[in-house]
Parts: sequence; C-alpha cells; structure tokens
Amino acid sequence: MLSALKIEWMKVKNYRTFWILLGITLVSIPGINYMMYNIMDNKFPKGKNGRNPIFGSPFAFPDVWNTVTWNASLLFIIPALLIITLTTNEFSFKTHRQNVIDGWSRQLFIGVKLVEILLFSILCTLIIVLTALGFGLIANKLGPGVTIEQGSRMAFFYFVEMVSYSMIALLLSILIRRSGLTIGVFFIYMLAEQIFVLFLRNSYHMKWVDYMPEEVTDMLLPFPYAKTLFQNNAAEWNQHIPVYLAISALYLFLYCLITSRRFVKVDL
Amino acid sequence: MSNILSIQSITKFYGPIRALHEVSFDVPSGSVFGVLGPNGSGKTTLLGIIMDVLRASSGTYSWFGESPSERQRQKIGTLLETPNFYHYLSGEKNLQIAAAIKGRGKDDIGRVLEIVKLTERKDSRFSTYSLGMKQRLAIASCLLGNPSVLVFDEPTNGLDPVGIAYTRELIRELAKEGKTILLASHLLDEVEKVCTHVAILQKGQLLMAGDVNIVLTNEDFIELGVEAESQEKLRSALSGLLGIRQLKEVNGHVQLFFDNGSIMDLAEINRHCFDQGVVLNHLQLRKKSLESKFMELTN
Repeated sequence: MLSALKIEWMKVKNYRTFWILLGITLVSIPGINYMMYNIMDNKFPKGKNGRNPIFGSPFAFPDVWNTVTWNASLLFIIPALLIITLTTNEFSFKTHRQNVIDGWSRQLFIGVKLVEILLFSILCTLIIVLTALGFGLIANKLGPGVTIEQGSRMAFFYFVEMVSYSMIALLLSILIRRSGLTIGVFFIYMLAEQIFVLFLRNSYHMKWVDYMPEEVTDMLLPFPYAKTLFQNNAAEWNQHIPVYLAISALYLFLYCLITSRRFVKVDL
Repeated sequence: MSNILSIQSITKFYGPIRALHEVSFDVPSGSVFGVLGPNGSGKTTLLGIIMDVLRASSGTYSWFGESPSERQRQKIGTLLETPNFYHYLSGEKNLQIAAAIKGRGKDDIGRVLEIVKLTERKDSRFSTYSLGMKQRLAIASCLLGNPSVLVFDEPTNGLDPVGIAYTRELIRELAKEGKTILLASHLLDEVEKVCTHVAILQKGQLLMAGDVNIVLTNEDFIELGVEAESQEKLRSALSGLLGIRQLKEVNGHVQLFFDNGSIMDLAEINRHCFDQGVVLNHLQLRKKSLESKFMELTN
C-alpha cells in the first residue's frame, strides 16, 4: 500500500489543479472562521461580561470546537471537488485501465483511493484542530472549570463528516465517471437531501430523516450560534451521538462496499 | 514449445450483444501471434479480457500456465487500444509511474525513450504530443523492463508511414530476441509481414488459428484471355483439363483454380488450348491476394 501511495503522489505532485484545490481547502478552514469571528466580534453588541446575550461567545473554549468545525463543514464541497477531479481524471484519461494493465489489482486501485480520502481527512482535521486552538486562545482566557480539550471531540465528528462527504464524492465518481456530471449530481443530491429533510421534519415531524446519509453526519455538528435559542435539547443530542456515529459508520461501510464492488466487478 | 497464453472458451456479452463466442487458442512461447479480424470482430475485447480490464461472461485463460494475476501483468508490456497517460504530466513522468506500477526502477526509462525516439521531447507534457508521439510513448511504456511478452493492439494506429515501418521493424527485432508477441490488427499485410501464427476472428467467433503460412496460404491461379468471340470455345477447351477446381470469368478474362494448389505449367495450358483451336492473347500466373483470402474466410 505504501508503494501505491507513492505512485498516487507521483500522479498529483505536478498537477496544478490538485495544489489549487488543496490550497483552497486548507486556507478556507481558517478563512471562513476568521470571517465569522470578525462578524461576531464587530457586528454584535457585547454585554458587561464581554458576551453577546444571544450569541454567547462561540469562539471561546469550549464552544470554539463546535463553531470552527461547523463553519468548516459548510465548505465540504471543496474537498469533494478535489476527490471528484482526481478520480474522474482517471476515467477521462483511461489511466484506471492502464494502471490495471500495468500490474495493479483492481482492489489496490480502489483501496489506495480510500486511503487517500482518510489521509486527506486527517490533514483537514489537523487544520481544524490548529484553527480551533488558535481562535480559542485569541478569543479568551480559559474560564473556571474549562479546559482546552473540552469539546474537542467535535474535531473527531468533523473527521467523520469529512470522510462521509468524500466517500459520497468517490462513490459518485466511480458510478458516473464524468467530472461535470458527477459534480452536478453531488451538488443536487446535497441540496435535495437538505430540502427533503427540512420538509419532512418541519411539516410531518418525522424523526427518521435525521438518519439520512448526509443528515446523520450533519447531526454530529450542531448549529453553534445562539445556542440559547436553538439548542434547547442539548441533552437529547448528547444521548443520540452514539446512534449517529453508529449509523454514520454503517453508511461508510456501505459506501466502501459499493465503491469497491462496482470497480472490481464491472468492465473498466 | 510451451504456451505463454492459453485461452479456453471465452465468451463475452455486452448486454444482448455477443462480442465473443467460445474463443479458444494457445499462444506458443517465442511466437509472434497475430489476432486478425475486421473492425468489431472482438480483437480488442479479447485482449481486454486477458489483461483484466474486461470481465469475460464465461471461459478462462492462463498466463505462463498459471491462473491470471496482477504479478503476471507486471511482466507483460501491453498497449491496448489507445495510449493512456496523464495528460498534465511529461512523457518521462508518465513512464516513471508505469515503471513504478510494474515494480521496476527508473533506470530503463532513458533506454526506451531512445528506442522510440522521444528523448528530446521527454519533458514535454503528454497533452502536447502528436498522435504518433503518443503511440510511440505507449510502445516505450510496453518496453519498460524488457519484458519477455508483449501485447500490442493496433500498434501502428496513428503512425505515419515511417513510423509504421519503424514499428514493424521493432516488432521483428523483438521477435528475433525471442520475445512472445501478441499482435491484434485488422491490417493484413502487417500480420503477414511480422507474424508467425495467426488467429482470425469474425463477429466474435474464431474462424481459424495456427501457423500463418497454413492459415493464410497464398493460392496461385492462372488467368487466360482470348478474343471476345472465342470465349465460349475457350471454356469448352478448358473443361477437358484435369485437376481444375474452379473456373471464373473476371473482367473478360478466365481464371483457373486447381485442386490442392497443384497448378499446371503455363506452356502445357497454352499447348492444350492451341491444340483445341484456341489462340490465347493473355496467359499469366497470378497470386491470390491476402485480402481476397481474408475476405473469403470472413464472408
């Protein structure tokens, strides 16, 4: 696997689009948080304790973990674009066939793509951790009884969500093979599921929509602003985390299974 | 002579379309084996199956007497259909990737680039290459690590006449080195000039397979001509000759085909006709073209 990863590196290290999309992904994580931090800091009046009575201090420990990860999760389309571009390039150039002809097994070809997603997600999660630490330390001194690592499990939830979105992007790339169409379907699916979930949840109070593929990982990162207004059921959310994680893991397993079986079984 | 590749009863369906039907043949070690057939006969499908990029609907194949695996493919140089490379990388970097997948070092890249005369353009992006250069780079990739078995699918596609001649010469040179070469082509003269063995496919069915001199035997025939008014007389004179298998009229001439290739002497035919009162104004020994033979086999 290590030699396969080295070959994957050889494929992308001189590819300008890879560096542009990777750069945008990595810069956008602190970037969007900096933007939100400025809005919170400058646009809303603060009370005597330095906190806005409605919004609180979303960039102070421990809430900063939730805030930074949630903000970054708005931009999952960028890493997904990178995954889609790299995968559909193989189909456009027919190099997926050539790699197999030259001596890779089909399992290795798809396996190394899955490992790439894991490595890429770990890299983004590291940036998340650094960003959260940076903003948390800038925003305030630690209050009584608050530690830096408190709430840091959000970084792990971000990782799960990042892997999930990337896996959906890989699955669609393997199924559709064309970059433009894959990006279009990915966008439409993301949007359609959100609309579907909102409609059924608000109109019919259906709880099962929380377990839809995209929504179940979204549930891991709750809306971080104005918690006093929106998070009146924090205890219930806390109780549901193992369920969300278990169902997310089940989806990830299914994505892996379908992606691998598809690539291994069909004509290339 | 042991077999490098053995194909047994391979059938391939694309939905309701049957692309290959029960194809079986063996490729002997050290042979230049041509897979011949018109467009759409299943040549590329067959090569795709034995290189694991297509799945056979039924049937099996073995390389080097063993079940197929990726390790075996690493030992085979293959050019299948079109040259497949990363467009944004240079020719040399593309070869580095191919060499790494084949489990070989970078040492051989300079040699193969020199063979296909691409050394000067090794740093240019693949997307800037002409069709012929792309094809030559694909051949270079096949030669990486000096493999003992090569699979070429239409290797002269996109090459200019010089490139075609050069590639044929290269294949001959590789054959002389004792390499086994599997060559798919619809170009008969290409197969005739370089192959020792041939398999002929038509609409997915194997028509014949074996030694090229047996499968594609050049059949000789005699062409005779007389004045228009003597045509009937000539036909009746020839009907008395022994050993004639077929008599055809083509463009005012009569063509004579003999049993088992046992062709008659031209002087003897001339004398026979003269004795029968027919004066020939055209008498020529002709060779049936490979194209005609191929058309005969595939129609």
